[in-house]
Amino acid sequence: MTQTFTLQIDRAEGSLQRLIGLIERRGFHIDRMSVADAGQQREVRLTVRARDEARCVDVLGRQIDRLVGVSRERSVSEPYQEGAVVCTA
Amino acid sequence: MTSAAASQNIQADAEQLTGARLVVQALEREGVEVVFGYPGGAIMPVYDALTQARFRHILVRHEQAAAFAADAYARVTGKAGVCLATSGPGATNLITGIANAMMDSAPLVAITGNVASPLMGTDAFQEIDILGVTLPIVKHSWIVRDPADIPSIFAEAFHVAQSGRPGPVLIDLPKDVQFASVRAPRMPRRVALYAAAADPAQIRRAESAISAAKKPLLYAGGGVRIARATGQVRDFVRRTGIPAVSTLQAQGVIPNDWPESLGMLGMHGTRAANQAVQECDLLIVLGARFDDRATGALAKFAPNARVIHIDVDAAEIGKLRDAHIPISGDMSAVLAAMNPRPPAIADWAETCHAAAIEHAYRYDAPGEGVYAPALLKELSERAGEAFVAACDVGQHQMWAAQHCRFSDPRAHLTSGGLGAMGYGLPAGIGAKLAQPDAHVCTITGDGSFAMNIQELATLKRYNIPLKIVLLDNSMLGLVRQWQELFFDRNFSEVDLSDNPDFVAVAQAFGVDAFRISRREEVSAGIERLLAADGPCLAHVIIDPMANVWPLVPPGKSNAEMMFGDNI
Ligand SMILES: Cc1ncc(C[n+]2csc(CCOP(=O)(O)OP(=O)(O)O)c2C)c(N)n1
Repeated sequence: MTQTFTLQIDRAEGSLQRLIGLIERRGFHIDRMSVADAGQQREVRLTVRARDEARCVDVLGRQIDRLVGVSRERSVSEPYQEGAVVCTA
Repeated sequence: MTSAAASQNIQADAEQLTGARLVVQALEREGVEVVFGYPGGAIMPVYDALTQARFRHILVRHEQAAAFAADAYARVTGKAGVCLATSGPGATNLITGIANAMMDSAPLVAITGNVASPLMGTDAFQEIDILGVTLPIVKHSWIVRDPADIPSIFAEAFHVAQSGRPGPVLIDLPKDVQFASVRAPRMPRRVALYAAAADPAQIRRAESAISAAKKPLLYAGGGVRIARATGQVRDFVRRTGIPAVSTLQAQGVIPNDWPESLGMLGMHGTRAANQAVQECDLLIVLGARFDDRATGALAKFAPNARVIHIDVDAAEIGKLRDAHIPISGDMSAVLAAMNPRPPAIADWAETCHAAAIEHAYRYDAPGEGVYAPALLKELSERAGEAFVAACDVGQHQMWAAQHCRFSDPRAHLTSGGLGAMGYGLPAGIGAKLAQPDAHVCTITGDGSFAMNIQELATLKRYNIPLKIVLLDNSMLGLVRQWQELFFDRNFSEVDLSDNPDFVAVAQAFGVDAFRISRREEVSAGIERLLAADGPCLAHVIIDPMANVWPLVPPGKSNAEMMFGDNI
């Protein structure tokens, strides 16, 4: 199961490194990634996969939300299933 | 305009124009009262501007101590602590302190100099990519490229450090940016500290779950201190009568003499607390994060409980344990809004309370030697409401958490998440400067004390009347205890019997010191320590083989506690 995040991130020094570091440190592989210019910001699309079953992609999403200068547009899990990766009731 | 006034104006303008001066102004604008730091080449323009600053600079003797002192200052005041260092080794020396603030969510603003922008990326003398090195241990960080951004970056940095779940931030200042003149600095927009509002529907669900519970239990964590919600939590306990366990960081939230108080949970927690967690049917988690030292084997933790998890940081909810009712928001507001019909739990409350009484710590250990738990209990009781402990890491830290009386969680400063030896002395300095009227005591061990022993010079320099209790077992005690219990008594590199004479060392630094070697000397020693006008160290000789009890072996469930002689 993979999850794709679409993010807008500030063009600040270290912002990509910060994002990628967080994802890997929290136990996810990055399978695909693209970065595109979006004016003041950059649009980053990332497809990630958990390294083991204990990792919850919902929690990763909230950890990404904590980053300053990053906003999450949408997250799609594939194959898409309603509520498939909800870790909190 | 007279020519004198005109030239004054020009001077004022000229002063305002450097990046370094803007840094000082930005700190003044944030109301900073004290900065802990250490100078060096790449931060010299800021040090040059410091002599005009309206705040105090405390010169420590190691940058790690600057970060620890600023962290403790922040924990006591709730406002960001500030530390300042040069590039390269100055910056890397801050790292342990930044990590400590990250793990325990303390608002810390770390400011580093760096080599001039054109040299960055060329392996210049004392160049370290400190932004890169610290990425995993900061909430956010900036390299200032345009000196005109200094006011707004500093304002944002303080905001990020202090808002939501607090934490450390880092601002890296290339030397040319500090020197540069600025025509029109961009002034910060005022950003109010906001607290996310919790979902009222979840609060209603929590109320029903609490009212229906047969064996509810509060699990209070460091978030209570950080949210300054101690009063609200106590009020909630009074309204509902629900028993409470607390983490290392939450000692002092529920007064020890309340019937609902079951003490600390986890590895060195009380039997009553760990039993209650295993049996409860509803766990109300208040600003805690299911740390492994608190939960033991996670799969067996609170096996029968539904979970209400209240935390300002949504990313903590569901991280390690699913929450049936997740509530993300400011704790005081959530608790004020939560008014459940009190559950019918008289039997459960009585069972918990009876266990707490039955398994209470005993202080009648046989022998003539000093019994550290009894000494710490007496110290905290004599110091009373004004007692603040700044602990180091090891057995003495656990004894302090178990046996001291804390009037408030802000009275217990301890390196919990990182467990960094060396915290105690600089943290005591930060805490005493933040709260000059408190009885601030550093509680340390002979191993930990040596890690930042140079700060005795800082005590002397500023005549900071910090009191130090050095519990000397001439061992790396906690490691020795684990070797005894889990490595077949194969004692490896834990003997410190060749320690220096700590009384003589303190005196050489100009700090008053004396020794306590026998139990009968304890009361007079505590008296002398607390009465001392200036800094004072009590060197306490304890049994090298004393252990911390009870204990949950690493990796085991909290139901599998081991007991020693004082339980
Ligand atoms: C910086 C650091 N290095 C190593 C450790 C591992 N460690 C944890 S407790 C301990 C022994 C502490 O000895 P001491 O300060 O004398 O305290 P005691 O346990 O004897 O009370 C050690 C080495 C640590 N927590 N921090």
